[in-house]
Amino acid sequence: MAARSENMKGFYRQRKKSGVTKKPLQPSSSSNKSPKHSPTFGSDVTHAPALLSHGSPDLKDEYDESEEVLRQFDLNMAYGPCLGMTRQARWERARRLGLNPPYEIERLLKAGKVEPQCLWDGRV
Amino acid sequence: MNSLVKFGRTSHLPAMEPMEIDPEKALQRKQATYSSLDDNFEIQKETYRGQQYSQIYFARLHLMRTLLYSLVPNRKPHLPVCTILQLEEGKECIIVGTLFKHMKLKPCVLDEYSKERSATPLVRPHNFMHTDDNLVLEDDSGRVKLAGSVLLPSAYVTGIVVALHGKETDAGDFLVQDVLEAGLPPQIELPLKSSEDKYVVFVSGLSVGSSTSNPLHFQLLVDHITGHLGDEKEQGIAAKIVHFVVAGDSIEIPRGLLNGQNLASKDQSRLSEPIKELDILLTQIAASLPLDIMPGPNDPANFSLPQQPLHRCLFPGSSAYNTFRSCTNPHCFELDNIRFLGTSGQNVNDLEKYSEAKDKIEFMERTLRWRHLAPTAPNTLGCYPFTDRDPFFIESCPHVYFVGNQNEYKTDLIKGSEGQFVRLICIPQFCTTGIAVVLNLRNLECHTLSFGTEFISS
Repeated sequence: MAARSENMKGFYRQRKKSGVTKKPLQPSSSSNKSPKHSPTFGSDVTHAPALLSHGSPDLKDEYDESEEVLRQFDLNMAYGPCLGMTRQARWERARRLGLNPPYEIERLLKAGKVEPQCLWDGRV
Repeated sequence: MNSLVKFGRTSHLPAMEPMEIDPEKALQRKQATYSSLDDNFEIQKETYRGQQYSQIYFARLHLMRTLLYSLVPNRKPHLPVCTILQLEEGKECIIVGTLFKHMKLKPCVLDEYSKERSATPLVRPHNFMHTDDNLVLEDDSGRVKLAGSVLLPSAYVTGIVVALHGKETDAGDFLVQDVLEAGLPPQIELPLKSSEDKYVVFVSGLSVGSSTSNPLHFQLLVDHITGHLGDEKEQGIAAKIVHFVVAGDSIEIPRGLLNGQNLASKDQSRLSEPIKELDILLTQIAASLPLDIMPGPNDPANFSLPQQPLHRCLFPGSSAYNTFRSCTNPHCFELDNIRFLGTSGQNVNDLEKYSEAKDKIEFMERTLRWRHLAPTAPNTLGCYPFTDRDPFFIESCPHVYFVGNQNEYKTDLIKGSEGQFVRLICIPQFCTTGIAVVLNLRNLECHTLSFGTEFISS
């Protein structure tokens, strides 16, 4: 199917506006994600039209700002390695060791609806 | 409640006179207040969630780095402290991190797959040191190779957290000018010196069931401390023994029977004979005085440190007594407010494989000055993957530090910079030496009890 975009940009891989590059691996643990999230290199011929919002493919998967904040917490080396622990356990460890992790993280975790495991869980 | 033992007055007449227990002359055993501090070493509450050892290394680095950061201003007040990534060439500063020692001869699991197979065996049993060993310091930002002659690789192992004073060279190494170890931890002052002698007996490496152990030696030891041997003077001394500690390797299971086949019932009873024999002897002790038994590398307990207490079902006779206590390895307890800390030897034996020292006492002293019981865990010593703590970190300096299953008896008294003093004891293997160690709580002095069964021909 021909791409819906009218300019040449549709043929080339485009950088996401937020600067985060797309992940080369399909997350295997997420079973409820539809195939439209599969990344491609170069041609976006297989992209469903709905993905191409504002003229660029939306490759952010389904995570929002709170997940972004939690991922930054995962990657912050000051709180130690994130693999093998739930985010809640890691936050509590950080608090117990006197590292003063921001309370916002705990609030997001307690609110529910977010991934309890770190971003590498199931991928490495 | 400790049980009382009354020693009878023996009759000197050859006729069979019944033994009378004269209540006025009966000797009472001394008692000491005991409290166990093994909670840190219990792992029942831990759950394994697939974590790796990076978590325990992080906990260790964080704990010790916070500690070292507080000590550095007192020792080197004018030097800046920075992380490894912040190092600048030529700038003198202090960095804190975990040591890693590259060892050429350390057995690597990949050696099995190496194409060149030389005639020398892949694993040498004793010491893996080599003159080419070098040290690297690592923190959560990066790692840097260490150079200079101040830090000798032969005295250090992977897993110690230290602060180093030095500067980066143009080769990209860190030239070490001085090492700051944590030093002996703070010690709770000993209570007022009591005037009475109270003894604690340590024994290790009983190896009941092995071909080298002589059951008569252990029976002699049991008879002596329970007061069934000797005259009144001897019994008087035995009555001052307040505690008995068995520091690991108490039995030797005939492993030859475990070859993967189903065990015949005859073999099944052979397998459990050593533990039954040990239980009989421990029951005699438990009936008389409080007893602590720790697991060792060859005992039926878990392999990785901290080893969990031997199960009570192994000791049906002795566990009926409340004087019988099965403890973890490492074991920490207090007797009359004197703090004891000890292991069954794995921590120091592992240090001996990867570093060198004058004697085992020096290894023990090093672990205290590094404030870590087993720095080689989890690198070369099996260890549980803790996530939020490192139970081997020594927070409070013990007054007595013992290590079991050693080749010979050695003891020393070391002093710290803040008035701490520690009695270090290497407990020899009883099955080969027949030696038990006796510690006097009044002055922390040690002597040995030696048992032998050779007939001296005149």
